[in-house]
Amino acid sequence: MNNTPWWASEDVWRKIAVWITAFMFVVLIFLTFDSVSKITAGSERVPPYSVINKRIGYEFNAERNMQVPVIGEQAPLFGQALTEEEAEALVTHGKKVVQGRNCMNCHTLLGNGAYFAPDLTKAWLDPAWGNEASRETLMTMFLKDPTNNARTFGSGRKMPNMNLTDEETRAVIAFLKWMSSIDTNGFPYNFKTIQQEG
Amino acid sequence: MIEPVALENFFIAFFSAAMVIICGALYALLFAYARVHRQPRLMPLAYGAYGLHFISVMVLAYAMNLNGFWQIVVVAMLVGYLLAPHGIWYLCQGTHTAEAAGGAGDGSSSG
Amino acid sequence: MAIGVLDSANLNGGQKLAVKYFTAAVALFVAQILFGILAGLQYLMPEFLYNVLDFNVNRMVHINAMIVWMLFGFIGAVYWLIEDEAGIEVVGLKLGNLAFWLFTSAVTVVVVVYLFIQTGPGTDTTRWLINEGREYIEAPRWADIGIVVCMLIFFYNAAATFMKGRWSGISGVLVLDLVALAGLYLAGMFYVTNISVDQYWWWWVIHLWVEATWEVLVGCIMAWGLMKTLGARRKIVTTWLYIEVALMFGSGILGLGHHYFWIGTPEYWFSIGGFFSALEPIPLVAMVVHAVYDSGVHRFKNANHPALAWLIAHAFGNFFGAGVWGFMHTLPQINLYTHGTQWTSSHGHLAFFGAYATINIAVFYLAIQKWRGNVWMAGGLADNGWKWKWSLALLNIGVVGMTMALLIAGYEQSFIERAVGGSTWSGYFAAQTNPWFMQGMWWRQLFGWVTAAGVVLLVWDLVTIGRGETRAAEMPEVEAPEPGGAAATAGA
Repeated sequence: MNNTPWWASEDVWRKIAVWITAFMFVVLIFLTFDSVSKITAGSERVPPYSVINKRIGYEFNAERNMQVPVIGEQAPLFGQALTEEEAEALVTHGKKVVQGRNCMNCHTLLGNGAYFAPDLTKAWLDPAWGNEASRETLMTMFLKDPTNNARTFGSGRKMPNMNLTDEETRAVIAFLKWMSSIDTNGFPYNFKTIQQEG
Repeated sequence: MIEPVALENFFIAFFSAAMVIICGALYALLFAYARVHRQPRLMPLAYGAYGLHFISVMVLAYAMNLNGFWQIVVVAMLVGYLLAPHGIWYLCQGTHTAEAAGGAGDGSSSG
Repeated sequence: MAIGVLDSANLNGGQKLAVKYFTAAVALFVAQILFGILAGLQYLMPEFLYNVLDFNVNRMVHINAMIVWMLFGFIGAVYWLIEDEAGIEVVGLKLGNLAFWLFTSAVTVVVVVYLFIQTGPGTDTTRWLINEGREYIEAPRWADIGIVVCMLIFFYNAAATFMKGRWSGISGVLVLDLVALAGLYLAGMFYVTNISVDQYWWWWVIHLWVEATWEVLVGCIMAWGLMKTLGARRKIVTTWLYIEVALMFGSGILGLGHHYFWIGTPEYWFSIGGFFSALEPIPLVAMVVHAVYDSGVHRFKNANHPALAWLIAHAFGNFFGAGVWGFMHTLPQINLYTHGTQWTSSHGHLAFFGAYATINIAVFYLAIQKWRGNVWMAGGLADNGWKWKWSLALLNIGVVGMTMALLIAGYEQSFIERAVGGSTWSGYFAAQTNPWFMQGMWWRQLFGWVTAAGVVLLVWDLVTIGRGETRAAEMPEVEAPEPGGAAATAGA
């Protein structure tokens, strides 16, 4: 009656399914430990929060065949150097504002989110802010009143007024500056920074 | 590590990637159909579809600059898609032997 | 038992609970389409509801309604089959009902808060009470906890019912999959400032749900459905469920790597993500071969034509949405340009619809058939069954149309914004204002209305199909699992 060959039997395939799933999961756990250790703040790929005290660039690296963030000389955000703890507190506040205002359902961050508004990965480095001298002022003005300072480039699409307080605005800018220093393997590609334009 | 697709190869990259999957599945479909309906005349068509799959993988490899490590992926796609339908076919036969031997007992699965 | 009359006496306890989930699922499906249309309109008319109901709110409700209605459909499907499969009544039906009402009220409160409060200050309170602000899992923390509690009740009901009744291969896979499903949700339930770490775990939830555990859950429902509707042999169906689990998890778990190209994670994810992405279509190829084999060696009699048609739509939708549309832009050499563009939404629309909306709708049709006393739902329906046929056609044309429109917009965007414009804001808007893009958005809106028409017709059909029908359907008997057989230990 039952002449199912062993390699097609229910029993064998149950075992194969269990072993494959378990194996893949164990590999994923192992890779997760490795990856998370390589992306903690302060690692080579994800700089410490105090990087907002520094000048950040984004340059082509021939060896890796991609653009990589370059951390430069002192250039404190809003001219005010922060300790590691202060910087972390500020960026944390910024991240919480970004979540609380639901930015990700219009914008993308590191390319993930919605596609109604520009990607924010390198927003700090965007040439739209004119030059490095005007950047902080323009960003603040824009975030405080996006309706009247809209940069729609002819699309008519304006950011809604998110009613950010001064403190929240500062925090969001700090978060954006920190995010622009993350090594994202060359994403976004072929990006022209504010320094190159300005 | 990776060499991004060149601007002029954009369309080829998307199109060949779609064709890799479509031709791979078409090959599997024709292969299974020819076997199950005992129509060996269809088998050349199945391998024709595989031929298109082969070409698509090659074009994809060119357009997406698949060199170095990525050639393993290319070979895996070529060999995997060729053998997978055979393997799955044997599995179908193997798993259904109980049914063939069990006969028309349940009425609904005889044919 | 009267045929053609909606009578809950036709249903067992689990099924009575299931139809509640299905009803809520359909309501949320309608909400998904409605908010999708509003969000789509804002591409065409940026002033529309500006500063009132902004794009981020509409889009959030659009995707959250989708996730929840699909989850409701799955939970309902499990409650639908559980008493048949376990051979006894659901052990905690009252608790199950309580969980349903808890879950549904929580979803309602969350949506009301999304719509009327929308956002909050950058404090922990906002994340606990209003909005977590992470795509797909925006639900505030209190709701997360509520969801976990409801999922635990659901899990208890499934596991305890099978344990008290009987195990089978299918129920074993199902219960283990539910553990993974609930466990993975926890990976999205903590706050972290480091956005790379944030997105690392976020993808655990999103990818390992939709590309692994959901697929297997659907595999379990399909396995049971094949026995139920086509009289397929249990032993074969179970073996194939295991084969599918091996192929899905074998390729899908590390397929997670294709989300780790650009979020700060190391370069080795290029190789892992690329390699396993190339493997991910293999389960689909297996399904093609097996489906052809099955239809060739059997002459199946099918008693529910709408359900079968939706299952066929599922096979095609899954293949094109997940397989073809996925592979077109998954390798990092091209994903560098397409990541975070309308390409993703093109893929998302077709894949979610093709893989999950279709199978849920098929289950709805199976449910309504039984609810009306196993009414005739094969050929020769009243009015020639025009409503289900047209809703099938409109929904598929609508979604495929949106997919193609978004594909063209995405192609243009990846070209103009990314490759040429260097991904700056001016590059972004150069792409967004391009005629190819704008026309894509118009076509997307048009096909969105086609989809909406299909949904309206679907709801109308689900309410009316089989009403007044006097013929009974011939349903095959489902084989019970072998007592004490190999399958009985599968859940252990």
